[in-house]
Amino acid sequence: MELQLDLYGPLFLHTLSYWWVIFPSIFLGLLVGAIPGFSAANTIIILLPLTLVMDVEVGLIFMVALYCSSRMGAGIPAILVNIPGTAGAAATPLDGYPMTKAGRGQQALAMSFVASSLGGLLTTVLALLTMPWLAQVGYYMHSVEMIVVMLFGISLIASIAARDTLKGLIAGFFGLMIGSIGADHVYATPRGTMGFLELYDGVPLIPALVGLFAVSEAFLVIEAQSILSRHSRDLLKTAGWSATLEGARIALARWWHITWNSIIGLVIGVIPGAGASIASFVAYQQSRTYSKIPEAYGTGHPEGLIAPEAANNGVTAGTLIPLLILGIPGGATAAVMLVVMQYHGVIMGPHLFSDRPDLGYGVFMAMAVTYLIMSFTILPLSRYMSKVTLVSTAYMAPIIIAFTLVGSFVPREYMFDMALGLVFGVIGYIARKTGYHVAAILIGVILGPLLEQYFLRALKMSEGDISVLFSSNLGNVLWVALFVTVLTPFALDYKRRRQRAAHG
Amino acid sequence: MNETGGKKSIGGDFVIPVAALVFTLYYFSTIIDSPWTAQVAAFFIGAILIALTLLFLVKSAIAIGRGQADLGMKTLITPTGLLATRLGLLAITVAYLVLIEWGGFTLTTFGFLLAAMLLLNRGQRAGFITLFALAVSLGGYLIFILAFETRFPRGPFEELIQAAMQAGT
Repeated sequence: MELQLDLYGPLFLHTLSYWWVIFPSIFLGLLVGAIPGFSAANTIIILLPLTLVMDVEVGLIFMVALYCSSRMGAGIPAILVNIPGTAGAAATPLDGYPMTKAGRGQQALAMSFVASSLGGLLTTVLALLTMPWLAQVGYYMHSVEMIVVMLFGISLIASIAARDTLKGLIAGFFGLMIGSIGADHVYATPRGTMGFLELYDGVPLIPALVGLFAVSEAFLVIEAQSILSRHSRDLLKTAGWSATLEGARIALARWWHITWNSIIGLVIGVIPGAGASIASFVAYQQSRTYSKIPEAYGTGHPEGLIAPEAANNGVTAGTLIPLLILGIPGGATAAVMLVVMQYHGVIMGPHLFSDRPDLGYGVFMAMAVTYLIMSFTILPLSRYMSKVTLVSTAYMAPIIIAFTLVGSFVPREYMFDMALGLVFGVIGYIARKTGYHVAAILIGVILGPLLEQYFLRALKMSEGDISVLFSSNLGNVLWVALFVTVLTPFALDYKRRRQRAAHG
Repeated sequence: MNETGGKKSIGGDFVIPVAALVFTLYYFSTIIDSPWTAQVAAFFIGAILIALTLLFLVKSAIAIGRGQADLGMKTLITPTGLLATRLGLLAITVAYLVLIEWGGFTLTTFGFLLAAMLLLNRGQRAGFITLFALAVSLGGYLIFILAFETRFPRGPFEELIQAAMQAGT
């Protein structure tokens, strides 16, 4: 695979011709990104019936545009009312909200939008230029390496994304076990199907992700009448936008800060399971570490806002790299995209770039076009976007439940799948309430059948010799990294407890 | 995790591991007589899952033994004032899934939205909710079924409209 620069120009113009998909997707993404607890993944799930009937290219552009814009939208309530729209914007209010409290809310929004647009655009271009080399990684990944990479992805989610590593691992392996349901690949023996014929082909992914993310979220949001407190509502209603240009100027003057932090986001995004929340905190932390005035962070310092926003938009391109090259989703939204692409019969992997360059490269081209369009359209509209947080959960939750459950009916037309969606909703609800990571369960469900395939392939080739799992150099390096990833949180926890005990 | 009197209530934390353990053992029972190709990956994953679950149970037992935690279920059921509403919403959702096969998308979704929104609003604003539920369900019908021909469950309403449109053409 070579760098196909000649392809990029026509592909850019081709993607630009889908402006009629990108424009509404941007506004929808901004809208849902601004709703706390909601996400691009949930929105794509809610609109699944629509996505599945679209042409695959249109569907992909729609999802990508929604993904990018929702990332940006999540910063709006984070800055204005101290409530991150998604976990990826969790570091944004650290300096964004103090700016709002100091009467600089509009300026902060402008800074956030400039940092997000530039960061996203830059990392998309970087991903496009490096894709041919990154795609080579896929060719070095054989059965053994893929087994370790999959276990690695689960373990990373457990150790980084989940608060409790052990709970994260349990959630991930529970997902893998659920993903193993169905007839075996060689003799078609039914396994773990509980007598349901509908499960002989394995667990359908759409009900799993509908239940784990959307239905469980709907049952959670009803705990409050409104997503916002009375104080936050009042703040939101009086938010103005007079200092937009000044905010944009401040952000543009810190172009190097945006560049550096968006690259951090890109690199972290490539690691399955790491995601925007980790990237934004890493970016914030390193920005403060290397700042000449670290004491200004947390008090409304522009760089404290720019760093996490540039990083979490850099993640957007990063999470799609393992999805496109290895078929392993780097995050929840990428997992949803994988499901939709599989439904359309698109096989992820390095061959995607030679077989369907319009889709392989098209993903990043759609991102580039989305970020370009956003940089011109978002600033004047920003003021009104966060108003959606005023919608009562009493209206929001039933709509989410109805449309997502019906969405899980669409692919196979089985009523069973709607019930399965509710079962996963209950599992997801319990998991969220008790600190188990639903993304770990979902990625387990997705990887379960793949892991089994690679496992069988490796063992067939070695005639049943289990030591084949440790027969490759790359594989062994990955095994070591896996064990370090799993054991480090426990070691750090132990060290912290020792230190605490030593200090009385 | 909720804390009561300095103790963490971790009863709810057991639901997922215990469900995982029970499911894994059930899964093993379905493959015990199968060829090795059907067993190997499941035993590999299942063995790790069982080990992790047992580790979690031991860790929790130690915390309970030291008086740092109890088996309370507060984590799962708080806020307790909303328990009835949440169970009510679950019951309405189950009814929705049962009825949609006969009622079709539009009628059943209207009924579901109406009932769920009335429940969550404690019976207030009934007129507005009726109109809102009607608008959302009809909007869903127009967008998904009529415009995009999505394969949603069909019932009397969808059949009636289809028959009327066919008669019109």
